[in-house]
Amino acid sequence: MFVWLENTQVAIWVGVSLWAYPILLAAHIVGLAIVVGIFLIRDLRLLGLFTRLQPAAFLPLSKLAWVGFIINAISGILLFTSQAVTFVNNIPFLLKITAIVVGMALAGVIQSRLRGELAAVEGSVAISTATRSIAAVSLTCWLVAIIAGRLIAYL
Amino acid sequence: MWLTLAQAVDGTGLSQWVAATYWLWPILEIIHFIGLSLLLGGLIIIDLRMAGHFRRFDPQATHQLLPLVIAGFSLNLLTGILFFFGDPFRYAVNIGFQIKMVLVLLAGCNVVVYYLKIYPQMRSWGADTRSPVNARLVAYTSLAVWGGVLLCGRLIPYVGTG
Repeated sequence: MFVWLENTQVAIWVGVSLWAYPILLAAHIVGLAIVVGIFLIRDLRLLGLFTRLQPAAFLPLSKLAWVGFIINAISGILLFTSQAVTFVNNIPFLLKITAIVVGMALAGVIQSRLRGELAAVEGSVAISTATRSIAAVSLTCWLVAIIAGRLIAYL
Repeated sequence: MWLTLAQAVDGTGLSQWVAATYWLWPILEIIHFIGLSLLLGGLIIIDLRMAGHFRRFDPQATHQLLPLVIAGFSLNLLTGILFFFGDPFRYAVNIGFQIKMVLVLLAGCNVVVYYLKIYPQMRSWGADTRSPVNARLVAYTSLAVWGGVLLCGRLIPYVGTG
């Protein structure tokens, strides 16, 4: 299947075109800054930093994070097609994708908590241990995604 | 100017160490990527609130993120300097690197305007205060310039000497 994917017109275009690959990488880093930037700060807030930011204020901001995610899903899939066989056998790549899937699933969980139990939280009002734990795992996922993503080129 | 700097850096102990330590480069890249996430993440919130979006954030409260932004920038300045030491002549002549540095300088000028003009007036902002034109201009300039920094930085390996 991945061999077939590598031989599709799109994959060949990404691999052969002089500018496709660098432009996709450039889009990928803009998306990364948006997604990881927003989610890191949201998680740090839930872990007790930046207490003057109201947790529920992150709800509308998550839509922007989704825009970043879509940019990276599209650019990422296109980048993937050009070397699909190499990527599916690359441990850091598989780790990165796992971390992103878990991170996005937790983003959904955190969203529902922001609407529910965290809606009224202001200032340094205590955030439940469960929510903090979810935030800690989410934070770890995004750091792992960055670390593993960078290591794709090296391992 | 960059060539002079590259000549000064070339052959120093630090330059040789960065170039010869094979595991160092990926670690510096990872730190550089985490630093850019902190820098851009903080700025997205500070600048978009300054421009009048995401009004559920208290405008002054977003300034709590400034230390995080400065930390991200410091990480990237430090790792960036090490990159330059590791491969001085490649960076010195690279058009992507040169434009990136001009943009970082521009972002610095924008910070001065922010600090002198916008920051003092934001103290009186409430949740419903309409964001003045100069604040919006500074905010969007910041995001545009940093976006340019990201793009130029990522294109360094793919562009030549211009």
